[in-house]
Amino acid sequence: MSQTTSTARRRRGPTEEQEPGSARAGRNRRFGLEKQRSLTGWIFLLPAALLILWMNFWPMLQAFILSMKTGRGTRLEFAEPLWFNYERLLNDEIFKLTVGNTLLYLLVQVPIMLVLALVLANLLNDPKLRFRGLWRTAIFLPCAVSLVSYSLVFRTMFANDGFVNDLLLGLGFVDAPINWLGETDTARFVIILGLLWRWTGYNMVFYLAALQNIDYSSLEAARIDGAGSFKTFWYVTIPQLRPMILLTAIMSTNGTIQLFDESWNLTQGGPAYTSMTMSHYLFELSFQKNPNFGYGAAISYVILIMVAILAAIQLKVGDKRD
Amino acid sequence: MNVWKKLTSLAVLVPLGIALSACGGSGDEGNDGGEGSGADGAGTLTVWAWDPAFNIYAMDEAAKIYQQENPDVTVEVVETPWDDLQTKLTTLAQSQEFEELPDIFLMQNNAFQKNVINYPDLFSDYSDSEVDFSEFPAGVVAYSTFEDVNYGVPFDNGTAITALRTDVLEEAGYTVEDFTDITWDEFIANGEDILAKTGQPLLSGQAGSSDLMMMMLQSAGASLFDAEGNPTIVDNEALKEAIDIYARLVDSGVFVEVNSWDEYIGTLVNSNVAGTIQGVWILGSIQTAEDQAGNWGITNLPKMEGLDGATHYSANGGSSWAISSNADVELAQDFLASTFAGSSELYDTILPSSGALANWLPAGESDVYGEPQEFFGDEAIFSKVLEFAAEVPSNNTGAYYYEGRDAVSAALTQILDGADVDTALAEAQSNVEFAMS
Amino acid sequence: MTRSQLRKVPGYAFLTVAAIVSVFPLYFMVVSATNTSNDVLDSRLLPGTALFDNLGSLLGQQDVVSAMWYSTIQAVGTTVLALFVCSIAGYGFEVFHSKGKDRLMAFLLLAMMIPFAAIMIPLFQMFADYGMVNSSLAVILPAISTPFLVLLFRQAARTFPHEIVEAARLDGLSEVNIYLRIFLPTMRSTLAAAAVITFMTAWNNFLWPKVILVNNNYQTMPMLISNLRAGYVTDYGVLMLAVLLASLPTMIIFLVLQRAFAEGITGAIK
Repeated sequence: MSQTTSTARRRRGPTEEQEPGSARAGRNRRFGLEKQRSLTGWIFLLPAALLILWMNFWPMLQAFILSMKTGRGTRLEFAEPLWFNYERLLNDEIFKLTVGNTLLYLLVQVPIMLVLALVLANLLNDPKLRFRGLWRTAIFLPCAVSLVSYSLVFRTMFANDGFVNDLLLGLGFVDAPINWLGETDTARFVIILGLLWRWTGYNMVFYLAALQNIDYSSLEAARIDGAGSFKTFWYVTIPQLRPMILLTAIMSTNGTIQLFDESWNLTQGGPAYTSMTMSHYLFELSFQKNPNFGYGAAISYVILIMVAILAAIQLKVGDKRD
Repeated sequence: MNVWKKLTSLAVLVPLGIALSACGGSGDEGNDGGEGSGADGAGTLTVWAWDPAFNIYAMDEAAKIYQQENPDVTVEVVETPWDDLQTKLTTLAQSQEFEELPDIFLMQNNAFQKNVINYPDLFSDYSDSEVDFSEFPAGVVAYSTFEDVNYGVPFDNGTAITALRTDVLEEAGYTVEDFTDITWDEFIANGEDILAKTGQPLLSGQAGSSDLMMMMLQSAGASLFDAEGNPTIVDNEALKEAIDIYARLVDSGVFVEVNSWDEYIGTLVNSNVAGTIQGVWILGSIQTAEDQAGNWGITNLPKMEGLDGATHYSANGGSSWAISSNADVELAQDFLASTFAGSSELYDTILPSSGALANWLPAGESDVYGEPQEFFGDEAIFSKVLEFAAEVPSNNTGAYYYEGRDAVSAALTQILDGADVDTALAEAQSNVEFAMS
Repeated sequence: MTRSQLRKVPGYAFLTVAAIVSVFPLYFMVVSATNTSNDVLDSRLLPGTALFDNLGSLLGQQDVVSAMWYSTIQAVGTTVLALFVCSIAGYGFEVFHSKGKDRLMAFLLLAMMIPFAAIMIPLFQMFADYGMVNSSLAVILPAISTPFLVLLFRQAARTFPHEIVEAARLDGLSEVNIYLRIFLPTMRSTLAAAAVITFMTAWNNFLWPKVILVNNNYQTMPMLISNLRAGYVTDYGVLMLAVLLASLPTMIIFLVLQRAFAEGITGAIK
């Protein structure tokens, strides 16, 4: 319908366009109504669309221009060649390390989290389950805590003389306190644990919601056919949840690639950059060291491209199974 | 149509209302970098500093002293942690928003060159001021001097000390004398003995922090950079020696690594370690543990034997007051010249309570320095530190000090994990060169 | 125990473990807020008596009331504006559906991929040009319109019967009135879900306020907490109390709205 409208609009030309209130022939009046409606629609979208353009795309465009400049502080000039900063990335060992760290978080944490969330959602979806509200509230509650807050709680718990070490020592699992945040492997482990703690419940709520919309008769049919609960879950529930799994996978990938707060507040990227994420490195390059904003902007574009590629791959894989 | 009008007016009014009611700042309060008239000694000075127990306290005391002569001047200190302060300076300079700067801000000495070189627009210089920079140690003034122009009044003194728990030492049969004028080998031997006898390690520090190593380097007049600012991480004998000592400290258990600065302070105040090697400002934190009063003593640093220029003296930290480009320059200069660069009374007040040791040399003649300190076994520790301060070798920091320090920290972590020293240092050097390119 | 009851044991066990793991750090936070710093480090897990001492020293160190005020203003302002802007857009996309609008939506969705760290500097520069440094509005504006919320409302509008719109039009109701009087009231649970998500995100926002609120007199709760541990000595009891205070509003909002929240998410993804 609106295509007709836009064709009509194009045919009519600019002079008429400027007099929307003028009287028109009957045929035109109907188009006029359509047009007016379509226009109202556009006006409805306008605030949201303009804000996104203004607050996201416009700065991103400026960041792109910035990514082609070099120089420290405010003495910025266009680089020679323009892609100099991008070339520079290829030789930056610390950057490669942060890419590795980020991908590690992504590959380890996201699948574990989504599987956990799925299993929990499936358990909670059982109408005969007792205390459903209690379980759901308990598991979702971590999401209400801010990233800064939970990072500080985790830091306190994983301190050398903190709760976790006291517990492990008390139970006799270790002989000496573990320097959780001071060793590469344990620091990464704590970050992953923190992410799992904070976000599993969040994803679970999305799965729970999707489960409400599942065709109940298909579950019944499977049960009558004698499929066990695992088989039902795997062959009946999961396929119907696929769109939601895809959405949460994309959202989590997105969030993890851009991860900043945990790296910043929990481990400060240490030891020796081995738990630092890309966003944190970008922040450090821009604000804490000799400010190199052009280079930082180039990193931000790499993050953007990685997110886009991963989302595209997930969409492709998600579609194929349909 | 009526509803449309309502909606549009709502869309305009709601944000506007919020803007008016809540955003304290865009117009009026934003210019707290006071443009008050400085000539007649009235106005407000806004200051950014980070430690309520130390530099903020000192600034408040300075304000009181200045107000005796200039009752119309108010000083408003905004607590701003150092990392945060650096971020704010960068953001403001990058966007050329100098109106948001305070009049005076405190800056880490090690970061001074970097900021002056990258963002000269942030600073007002001291060339027309009454501050007599010859009344400060030349090595300290150098941090905030660029191309012969002064940009900072040195505040606290980062002279390094070895602070020790005398009660623990006694238990193992040692005294502070046994740790005075010794070498690192002796220090480690004593430390192992004390650890065996009392179960207490001598030192603690943040894992992956290179503070201690940097102090060792400076004690031998060495640095990570040469006079031209080029990195000298590879083939740096002093650095290799410092890494070796550090590794031996950690391996022997004499030095215990913790996760964070908080935990480091915690090991001191909770009596988990028997001492520390740090800038003298650490005394402020140590004195918060009131139950340890009378059980602390201080002495100089162990020496890196066999190195040219090795001494028992070094420094860590220290900061200077900068005047911003948005300041009421005249008033700010007058304020600093008559307090931090001209008032013995100020230093007499802040020294005993916070351990803020002056860089301003005339303050050293004050009697307060010679007074015995009850917390430190009735010893006149501050005159002792002043003696140390005079002996500290100068070193090169340059604009890329933090890059160098972090690269060496990373190398240190790798080396402790078993990496080859030369390989790790070569990598650190190339990372610094990369960051500088 | 019957067989079917027995089969449920692993499920309950798993849920119990998950719930304990989820709640324990929160319990630790609450309990630690009532203990002294040393007790926290000694892993005392019972409520202590230091709550009021901690509160006194927190209020003495930091202007908690002001930080709470700025956090509240910003979170409420963001939520109100976001609900309005995004719901009307979601409605517009669905009810006035067209190819052009679909393309616009796809384009806007790209904004989800933009890392915030990347646009921070240009964004700061922009607000600085408007003279809006230190302004709460500068914190609110970038958070109002998010592709995620628009999408949520568009999906929810999909379940809204088109016939009602047509009928209302025949009754002579204007498009805005249809949205306000007919659409919005049916969207209560979606609005609740969107409100919970937006309020939480806005309340917990850290990086952007840290950058744009240059003067620490205008700091928000997350900034205040982050600054608490930046002094030379951290009092863990006080820190945990501050963390608790900062978490209370979001937890209360979630607990109050949780039923509507779950329904809203469910309704939106049909």
